[in-house]
Amino acid sequence: MAAQPQQLPLEHGNYLTSERGIYSWLTTVDHKRVAILYGIASLFFMLIGGLEAMAIRTQLAVPNNTFLSANTYNQMFTMHGTTMIFMVVMPLELGFFANFFIPLQIGARDVAFPRINALSFWVFLFGALFMNVGWLSLALPDAGWFGYANLTERYFSPGINIDLWNIGLLILGISTLLSGLNFFITIVNMRAPGMTFMRMPMFMWAMLVTTILILLAFPCLTVGLIFLFLDRFVGTHFYLVELGATPILWQHLFWLFGHPEVYIMALPAFGMMSEIIPVFSRKPLFGYAGMAYSMVLIGFLSYGVWGHHMFATGMGPVADSTFAITTMLIAIPTGIKIFSWCATVWGGSLRMKVAFYFGVAAVLEFTLGGLSGVMHAAVPIDLQQTDTYFVVAHFHYVLFGGMMFAILGAFYYWWPKITGRMLSEELGKLQFWLTIIGFNGTFFPMHFLGVWGMPRRIYTYAPGMGWDFWNAFETISAYLLFITFVIFGYNLIWSLLRGEKAEADPWDARTLEWAVPSPPPAYNFEAIPVVRGRDALWVDKYGVIFEGHGHRTVPAQGETSGAAVPAAGAHHEAAHGAPHMPAPSLYPLLFALALVVGGIGMMMNWIRIDALAAALLFFSIIGMAFEYPDHGEEHTHQDPPTYTGIDHRKAGMWAFLGSECVFFACLISTYMVYKPRNVGIGAEVLNIPLTSFSTFILLMSSFLMVLALAATQRGDKKWATIWLFGTAFFGLIFLGGQYYEFSTLYLDEHLAMQGSIFGQTFYTLVGTHGTHVAIGVIWLLVMAVASATGRAGKSRALSVEIAGLYWHFVDVVWILIFTLIYLMRSVHNA
Amino acid sequence: MSENVATAGHVAGAEHASGHPGPGLYALIALALVILTLMELAVYYVSFLQPVLVPILILLAIAKFFLVGGFYMHLYYDQKIFSIFFVFPLILACFIGAALLMIFSALEGRLTL
Amino acid sequence: MKRAWLNRASLTGLLLALGAAMAGCSPRYPMDTLSNGSDFARRIHGIYVFVNWIDFFIMVVVLVVMFLAMFWYSTREGEPGEPSTVTSDIRLEVLWTAIPALILVAITVPTIRTIWATQPDHWPKDALEVKVIAHQWWWEFRYPQYGIDTADEVHLQAGRMVHFSMQSADIIHSFWIPALGGKRDVVPGQINSITYTPDQLGEFYGQCVEFCGDSHANMRLRGFVQSKDDFDAWVKHQQAAPVTPESGAAARGAKIFADAPCAICHTVKGISGLSPQYTGNFKGPDLTHFGSRTTLAGSILDNTPENLAKWIQNPDAIKPGANMPTLGLQGQDLNDLVAYLESLK
Repeated sequence: MAAQPQQLPLEHGNYLTSERGIYSWLTTVDHKRVAILYGIASLFFMLIGGLEAMAIRTQLAVPNNTFLSANTYNQMFTMHGTTMIFMVVMPLELGFFANFFIPLQIGARDVAFPRINALSFWVFLFGALFMNVGWLSLALPDAGWFGYANLTERYFSPGINIDLWNIGLLILGISTLLSGLNFFITIVNMRAPGMTFMRMPMFMWAMLVTTILILLAFPCLTVGLIFLFLDRFVGTHFYLVELGATPILWQHLFWLFGHPEVYIMALPAFGMMSEIIPVFSRKPLFGYAGMAYSMVLIGFLSYGVWGHHMFATGMGPVADSTFAITTMLIAIPTGIKIFSWCATVWGGSLRMKVAFYFGVAAVLEFTLGGLSGVMHAAVPIDLQQTDTYFVVAHFHYVLFGGMMFAILGAFYYWWPKITGRMLSEELGKLQFWLTIIGFNGTFFPMHFLGVWGMPRRIYTYAPGMGWDFWNAFETISAYLLFITFVIFGYNLIWSLLRGEKAEADPWDARTLEWAVPSPPPAYNFEAIPVVRGRDALWVDKYGVIFEGHGHRTVPAQGETSGAAVPAAGAHHEAAHGAPHMPAPSLYPLLFALALVVGGIGMMMNWIRIDALAAALLFFSIIGMAFEYPDHGEEHTHQDPPTYTGIDHRKAGMWAFLGSECVFFACLISTYMVYKPRNVGIGAEVLNIPLTSFSTFILLMSSFLMVLALAATQRGDKKWATIWLFGTAFFGLIFLGGQYYEFSTLYLDEHLAMQGSIFGQTFYTLVGTHGTHVAIGVIWLLVMAVASATGRAGKSRALSVEIAGLYWHFVDVVWILIFTLIYLMRSVHNA
Repeated sequence: MSENVATAGHVAGAEHASGHPGPGLYALIALALVILTLMELAVYYVSFLQPVLVPILILLAIAKFFLVGGFYMHLYYDQKIFSIFFVFPLILACFIGAALLMIFSALEGRLTL
Repeated sequence: MKRAWLNRASLTGLLLALGAAMAGCSPRYPMDTLSNGSDFARRIHGIYVFVNWIDFFIMVVVLVVMFLAMFWYSTREGEPGEPSTVTSDIRLEVLWTAIPALILVAITVPTIRTIWATQPDHWPKDALEVKVIAHQWWWEFRYPQYGIDTADEVHLQAGRMVHFSMQSADIIHSFWIPALGGKRDVVPGQINSITYTPDQLGEFYGQCVEFCGDSHANMRLRGFVQSKDDFDAWVKHQQAAPVTPESGAAARGAKIFADAPCAICHTVKGISGLSPQYTGNFKGPDLTHFGSRTTLAGSILDNTPENLAKWIQNPDAIKPGANMPTLGLQGQDLNDLVAYLESLK
């Protein structure tokens, strides 16, 4: 989906001034401007989440308080958690800082898919607003950010509260998944020449692992939310015990997502700390390789520890012991990180700036949160402490002490680059010390309360439990903490209006973003730099290369890697004039609008609104795909070469298919887990002859698909078109077969989605696959028409190849479904 | 583009099309897929194979999986990186499935329904 | 630099306070998790203290290193100092991978031993069986060995192993009496259990700890650990038929109880009742020996006539979302009903 390049004159000013007007912001695809939009939105939600926290603390200030009603309190703590995680920490880390600095740190002009980047933002904004719509009648979600079934079921939560949460999270999930995909491909593919993985800034390592976690964790949440949606709107029983299902399934799906999610929030913060601490210590990051590998290890292990959120659910001693061990293991790479930060500070020449204060404080506060985490890995201790305020203390030390401190540090560190103005150091130091007091005053006593048995999520408590003093103390500290954010906001505004103008490199920093002016020009780098070592800018400034376990001086070739001297890639560009920048687009906004309108339609059961939204969605996708018609045969535009030599789109499709693997794994596992619990009509009603025929059809469609690709690559327009139509036609036959299968099962065998847990898991799994087929058919028909009209010729063979990859994947999934669901229908567990 | 090839870490922007097999091999694979599916059905309907039904069916499915993935999706021909993008999540997916099956089968004795 | 020292001192002080506060349990904290009320609780307490000191030690090391570095290596504004070129030290890195690994092994071993020791498959035949049924928002306790059905207050015998088997009538709750050990979620559709031997006499507080809707905070319970004699006496008392008042306010109240919708959900043996097998969410607490309980309404109010009257008048005001309806009983009728219920000793 690389956009048509637009030529920007070099003297056009910085990215903020190069274009003006509201419309330019609505249609922007510049990663820096999208980042600014993310920043503004998430600071706004931070205010809301903070006010929710204040409401919670006010209610808990004294025992038997009546400031909030029970239900309002539940809404506040639910939205506080949901807001802070999905609308503040993640968008600040990913949408704001990562979005802004990934291209700048790896020496690129933009992200891999600029329009998808804008799309992610609009989807995020509308999704977040959608969930907050409940403010209008105080009908916000009220079942906790973890939304444990079966409390979230229609019977126990009849209002729209949970609907907002359910659909809102699905929408936010789409945004996050697309961002993750986008940034992953950007880091893999768009690094400047010479920036090997082992030369990347540590923040880039963090983002690389984070984006992988996003791709492979969010599908689990999506599956869980789809089940919940079906339960609430269609009347299935995925989490209701009546037909043999269990609400525990939700907990597994949720924490399969939820624990990687912790690291999705933590790793970017680790990356920020690893940027700030070396710069202000004037010392390279200690143990670079260890830091990078420990990050990968943490990401890897994070998939094997979800059960430690469920020790109290009675999984049995085998599972308890396993998850205890995996959770203990994750402490080792975390320890490596903490000690390496300490060692980075040790022996440096420390400059005591606010950013450094926050960076060091983040290490210390996070250490405390990590240590109390080790306690929860010990199952017996966890059985006393889980669901008490001890856990609240633990994860606030991680999320606020670790993540938010790192984010605040990143604000002080990177603000000059983003805005071109310095933040006030005096105000910053005031804010820092008050934050230290307010934060520790609010959350440290929660350890005491937890040890003294105060449960979480209670809207009131009795006097005489020994909890009164510290609760009052925490509330006062929390007010102070809120005030520190007012100071912070004042500092931001003051800086924009009066702040000292920032130089390109005010901190004598080490990485490439400081090689360009502050604020950067729209095209970031006048010429793509060449990287010759870790800490690429430092290499240029001081002529020292850090590599492996040591350092060496730069051989005197007179060549530097900063913006000053154009690199090899730039010669190529120089021949064509100024840097190519992607052109603005309105379709991302339309797409997001369609999505949220569809969400509203689903929630209110307005079929016509849904149809309208689907039409708008289709229109915006097609619009985006064919936005630049001359990107075809006659104007062969050569995209700039990528680091790996592979195309963004193809890499993106493969990464997406990887994510789909986990999605289908969750669906198939659910089917297998529920099959032995089924009562009533079961798998014996499945029609093997019919589905065998469908299997042949789908396999043959894959064959036609590769023929179409081969024809396209040959430039054979006629046969490419024929084979594409043929593939789509075979897909339609498959869908027809599925329609016949479903209708006979429903009408003759009385197998309903609502009637048995076999029915619901079967229809959901096979129907989801059918939906994938349907999307594929539409895609293929569009490609066939494009091929017939000459818009998908030889130079765009890649578009056909990508559609083909998707189609083959759908085929591969069917191979598994056919075996596991149909042919093994009489096997107990399958 | 050629200038960049020389730069450290840069792989030549290979023509994607060049390494792909032609229609002949594709047809052969299609034939193999059909035969494997027929074998699956045979295994399913032949009664004396029932005790080993599961392992045989899984092996046949894996074979089909690799044929489509390796040849139709070109993993066998394209850069290694695509295989990494796909196989790592696949392993994770298998792990999730196995873990969930084990955890839930441990609960089976304690159900009230 | 002074401020750094101050900060270090204050943080260390806080940690010391934490250590001191956690060293022992105190009657001032009825829900103290560091307690020794059963074998289970003592095991947890032991591991906790062990891990707590390890954590304390590591935290102090990190703090000291960081603050010493701040103290020694900070530079003044305008004198940036020489940049360092130290990148790594493989011996140091191996060391800080290996030492934490050993410490974790030291924590993991007792952890796993305790997991297996506290989740037995079998328990002695004479162990006390208590069936816990969690409702939104109260606790039902059944003693199948004695045919007792009571609510919100569970009586246990000191020195006798108790096996709780748990079921939920509606959604997920979590059963917890901190003084007697860890918690266990009560999951619908699945029987969870927890087994321990309480050995300290006394009255212990507990509470539902899995978020379960509006009145999650109002789902409390009490555990009474009694000597063998006291426990036997309690059992005998609970098994006896309730007193049926002959005359006076209580007798009038009995009539109101039977006529008003009370009897639809609440059992008083011999007068009204649902099927003893019924565990659905229609059920209200068994009131046969209501007057002998110390608390009411999910253990959130002391069992006094005034509190009972307040509760009956408007349950929703005391326990938001409660299933019990407002019956509109006033004046004399209300007093008579209260008198009757309190007479059910």
